[in-house]
Amino acid sequence: MPNQSGSLYGLTILSPIIDDESATPSHDLQIREYLANLPTDCKGPFALAPYTHLTRLAVMDDVIYVGMPSSEEHLKFKYLIWEANFDGDLDRYLVALAKTVPDQINAIWSHCVGYPGTANLDKFLTYMKSCQLETTFYFAAVNDKSLTQTLTALQTQRAVADFIAKHRGTPAPELQREFLKFSARLKAMPTPLPAAVSHPRGIKTGGRNE
Amino acid sequence: MSKLNVTDIQGFTLRGYNLPFARYLFLHFAEDPKHTRALLHELLGRITTGQCWDNGKPSSTLNIALSHRGLAALKLPAATLLTFPVEFQEGMKARSEILGDTGINAPKNWDEMWHSGHVHAWVAINGQTPADIDACHAELTDLIEKTGGARELGHQDAAAIVVDGGASTIEHFGYTDGFGNPDYVGVDRKSQPGHGKLAKDGKSWEPLATGELLLGYADEAGELPVAPMPHLLASNGTFMVYRKLKQNVAAFRAYIDHEAKFYTGGKAKLEAKFIGRWKDGTPLELSPNYENQAIVKDPDQSTNFTYSGDPEGTRCPMGAHLRRVNPRDSFGFKGGLVNRRRITRRGLPYGRYVPDGQPVSDTEDRGIVFMVLNASISRQFEFVQQQWIEYGNDNHLGNDKDPLLGNHGGHGKFAIQGDATAANPPMICSKLPNFVELKGGEYFFLPSITALGMLAMDLVDPR
Repeated sequence: MPNQSGSLYGLTILSPIIDDESATPSHDLQIREYLANLPTDCKGPFALAPYTHLTRLAVMDDVIYVGMPSSEEHLKFKYLIWEANFDGDLDRYLVALAKTVPDQINAIWSHCVGYPGTANLDKFLTYMKSCQLETTFYFAAVNDKSLTQTLTALQTQRAVADFIAKHRGTPAPELQREFLKFSARLKAMPTPLPAAVSHPRGIKTGGRNE
Repeated sequence: MSKLNVTDIQGFTLRGYNLPFARYLFLHFAEDPKHTRALLHELLGRITTGQCWDNGKPSSTLNIALSHRGLAALKLPAATLLTFPVEFQEGMKARSEILGDTGINAPKNWDEMWHSGHVHAWVAINGQTPADIDACHAELTDLIEKTGGARELGHQDAAAIVVDGGASTIEHFGYTDGFGNPDYVGVDRKSQPGHGKLAKDGKSWEPLATGELLLGYADEAGELPVAPMPHLLASNGTFMVYRKLKQNVAAFRAYIDHEAKFYTGGKAKLEAKFIGRWKDGTPLELSPNYENQAIVKDPDQSTNFTYSGDPEGTRCPMGAHLRRVNPRDSFGFKGGLVNRRRITRRGLPYGRYVPDGQPVSDTEDRGIVFMVLNASISRQFEFVQQQWIEYGNDNHLGNDKDPLLGNHGGHGKFAIQGDATAANPPMICSKLPNFVELKGGEYFFLPSITALGMLAMDLVDPR
């Protein structure tokens, strides 16, 4: 199934945006404004809700005519495009979003045609699935680890490297004692929050760099 | 496309001259572009093109590139100036946060000349001897005075390091450098396996699309690279990144000496693990346990390797400099993910070379003048710098940076993958300092001979 790569699901949803001439600002601009101001750290809705590895929301105004020999075509609506990579099952994912971050989901999709809201889960699921496009050529860089496994692995990688660096040259009996303590401490560590910055990076990436 | 018009392309774009001396001059153009045009006109016939040297190498070469501010000083039409790629318009200083040029590498710590933002042009003289360089420089100074077209802001000398009385290809840390620049379709040069991109069979090599180096030709995606209008101004030109990289040789040697005490593979192997080649140039991937001059000297071997047989990095570490900047097939897909991220490099060391074992201080300025040629600075150089040098995610290395080039600030980490043998143990190097510091640089446009003529004759018309 093209929507699935290993244990990851690649979701593509196109929701038509309400075309209401009397709305000022227009619904598409209201979505753009809301999205532009969403936090991208661990307070973002897709970090608060479980399972998301990667997600992207964009507004597509129209298809662009690039000149002959292509023919000029236009979309009936402006569309909200939502792409997400997440763990496993589509229903479980959508339900988790509806239950964890209903305000944010409703704030975004309330500008879309026929959106029923999250309160009625059945209607919400039916709506989202009716907007779904089959994802083709879906590629996930890592497709056999859950979000929790990935976050824990990164935490372990960092912690083990720090432990090794710190205990270089330590005599074996002491090293073993230290390692057992470290191992217990590591196991007890809470899973890091998605999108949390563990180390500040002196570099600007993504977003409005270009 | 069978052959490029090499007489229209600057020689510096098409090949490394392998001349032992160089001087890079930085010019600020005259207030009145008329005078600058006169200077460019004088230079036009003197610029070294890509034409073959049938009668041997010349005593010196001359090449020129312009910054966006330089093009603006020439009063090019706004409709042309605005069509240059954004990163080139902004210049390297404005891109510092994107490049990770922060902290000690931030523009405020660059050499004085770069503070003003007044660098309009880079002029490169490569030569056989210092006297050849001086002679060419004197000629240029005469032309500048005669035309009143510019003033010299400063210059940077560079020279191949002399070993056993002859020019070598080693750099200040002691590694043999300059093995693999990419091949491009139509660029006539001595080619060897490993220089281009991996072919579909995953074993043989073929040249990259011309448009990865030159503007006006299809690139690896079958598209024309973003280029200024009009087409004639862009075609056969390229973009150049100039970076003066100071090498902290004392810090590097002290760090290696200290870490080697904890590494049972031996100091030479530890040094090799940092870069991915032994100091004599032998690729770790081909010879993980010892230097092998037979490999280094054999063009069929010296760059002919892949990483698919070493997915864990036990031969060449995942984070080694070589594997980072040209990951070959490290990310799978027979190297398909790296073909749009390749760069052509030029450069020479500067400063006094201090052989291993002799006292050395980092208060003395030495390093490498590093230049990159690529069709898209943002897609090629900036990507490599940001994602592969200053970050580790693509190699599953989290936030780790290039051990040698990374802007570590004393907090860097380098994981050396290994196996269960004492000769090849795993190792974590931590608290990496900056072995390399950025001392200045800029983005330049290296025009074709035709484009240079258009600039000289005020013929740039975007309509």
